[in-house]
Amino acid sequence: MNINVKFQKDGEVVHGYIDGEIDTYTAPILREELDALEIEKDLLVQLDLSKVSYLDSTGLGIFVAFYKKVVKENAHFKLVGLTARLVRLFEITGLSELMDIETNTKVEYNNESI
Amino acid sequence: MKSTINITTEWDIVTAREIGRNEAKKIGFDTVNQARIATVISELARNIYLYASVGTITIETVEQDGKVGLAITAADQGPGIEDVRAVMQDGFSTSGSIGAGLPGVKRLMDDIEIQSQLKEGTTVRVKKWL
Amino acid sequence: MKELKIQYKKILVDYIENQSERNLYIGQNFIRQLIQKNITPEEVIHMHKQVMEEIFPELPVVSRHGYDFLIEIMVYFGLTLKEHQMLLEQQEEMRIEMNVATKIQSVLLKTTVPQIDEIDIGMLSIPIRKMNGDYVHFLNDEENYVGVAVTDVVGKGVPAALCMSMVKYGLDTLEYAENNPSYVLEVLNRIIEKSVDDSMFVSMFYGRLDLARSIFTYGSAGHEPAIYYNAADNAFYGLGAKGLLLGIMPEMKYEQTEIPLYEGDFIIMMTDGVTEFRHDDKIDSRKIIEQLALTYSHLSAQEMCEKLYEELQKLQEQGLDDDFTVVIFKK
Repeated sequence: MNINVKFQKDGEVVHGYIDGEIDTYTAPILREELDALEIEKDLLVQLDLSKVSYLDSTGLGIFVAFYKKVVKENAHFKLVGLTARLVRLFEITGLSELMDIETNTKVEYNNESI
Repeated sequence: MKSTINITTEWDIVTAREIGRNEAKKIGFDTVNQARIATVISELARNIYLYASVGTITIETVEQDGKVGLAITAADQGPGIEDVRAVMQDGFSTSGSIGAGLPGVKRLMDDIEIQSQLKEGTTVRVKKWL
Repeated sequence: MKELKIQYKKILVDYIENQSERNLYIGQNFIRQLIQKNITPEEVIHMHKQVMEEIFPELPVVSRHGYDFLIEIMVYFGLTLKEHQMLLEQQEEMRIEMNVATKIQSVLLKTTVPQIDEIDIGMLSIPIRKMNGDYVHFLNDEENYVGVAVTDVVGKGVPAALCMSMVKYGLDTLEYAENNPSYVLEVLNRIIEKSVDDSMFVSMFYGRLDLARSIFTYGSAGHEPAIYYNAADNAFYGLGAKGLLLGIMPEMKYEQTEIPLYEGDFIIMMTDGVTEFRHDDKIDSRKIIEQLALTYSHLSAQEMCEKLYEELQKLQEQGLDDDFTVVIFKK
């Protein structure tokens, strides 16, 4: 179990690339990396999750806290490249309604309501 | 007797150890206690060297109520210790800070006093009685 | 110390005269005593050096230097050893406290599964660690309604357990089983949003059964959809609903949906510990749960819960890695 986080600043956009599994053990590492980012007004933080094979609720918590921080600073936050599995997680938890999420592979999620 | 050693390089730690050991021997501490005193000086001086970059170690003989002993004072103008009580607890993670190894230092000596102010510095004074 | 030195000298002399296993054994027992008396490693070596000098006054000077060197380096060894012992003691203290906390949690979060004629209810909640991050709460006003909240707090261990107490308290203040699920979720969201930090939240499935009309009304706050079996259609449906996790944003609204329950129908409510197969994302766990439920649908709701746990545990190669909670309502 390991995680790798890389950032690349490009003008008003910070691209973050996360690689690995985000769980109870690796989540603190991710939090530290995200906390270290300097958030300025109008900045867009775009996190690429295409290499994230697993995300648990602790990991979701990290994204929620970071989302709130970014919004508070009047900056923007976007998640890109989510796998079908991650999309389902964001859909079920209702977070996809709240956050800006873009998937590479278009996944149609059926809410399964009857 | 009283000597003060400036700690700026790693070799100053060795000098402080040497002076401390000789003094301990002169007062009459046995081999084991000489080793303990040298270890304490080493620990305190290393903390200065690693985390405060500049500071002093003062070694002096002390007398009180007919007892003779050795006092070592480590003083620096480094980052200081946020919570002195916490660093004195075993297992409190202090590695990488000026408070590193203080519970061990306390265990090897008889008395310990710590004064610290964040961003201003730390003074640790320990004594060992004969 | 003097007394110990005399004993040590005798044991050492015995060994030097006769290198028998027995004498070695005596030596090791003696060390046990020294450890109990908190004698440090450098003191032991110092004692050894003194004894050697007494036995062999002509001990070469290089040998003495050797001992002195060993004494010196063992001071540090002793410090580390001592610190290690202290940590073990602290760990033991924490373990005891953790056990007490676990007991308090199980008393605090104890909920009774309602026993009523109109509906057969089963429940099983197994924590992965000592503290459970899942919680099931029943509200029952005997004649008219049964309410059930299936909750999962993000994170595990102590923080989750503390947050859980708040959820329970919130549900307790609602008191009546007839409350609408959307209302219950809104109230709880407000309570949790105000009280916990930004990375903490709760998912909840709330269901209420109107006993007289046999209508099940449910809402969900970011929770794993429940599975509903319709006996007439012989088909399964997911009971999902739009709704954000509790505790993230203030003033959220939650929708609620009604379904009628007929003879032979059942609803499986669960936490993601039941559906999540971490090491195999190709498995459609919900399909497996449906099949298992159908296989065991002749059993009571409680027995169905237990069978589900048993079978799903077998499927997980490395064992379950999350709290596992399942509640079944069976008409």
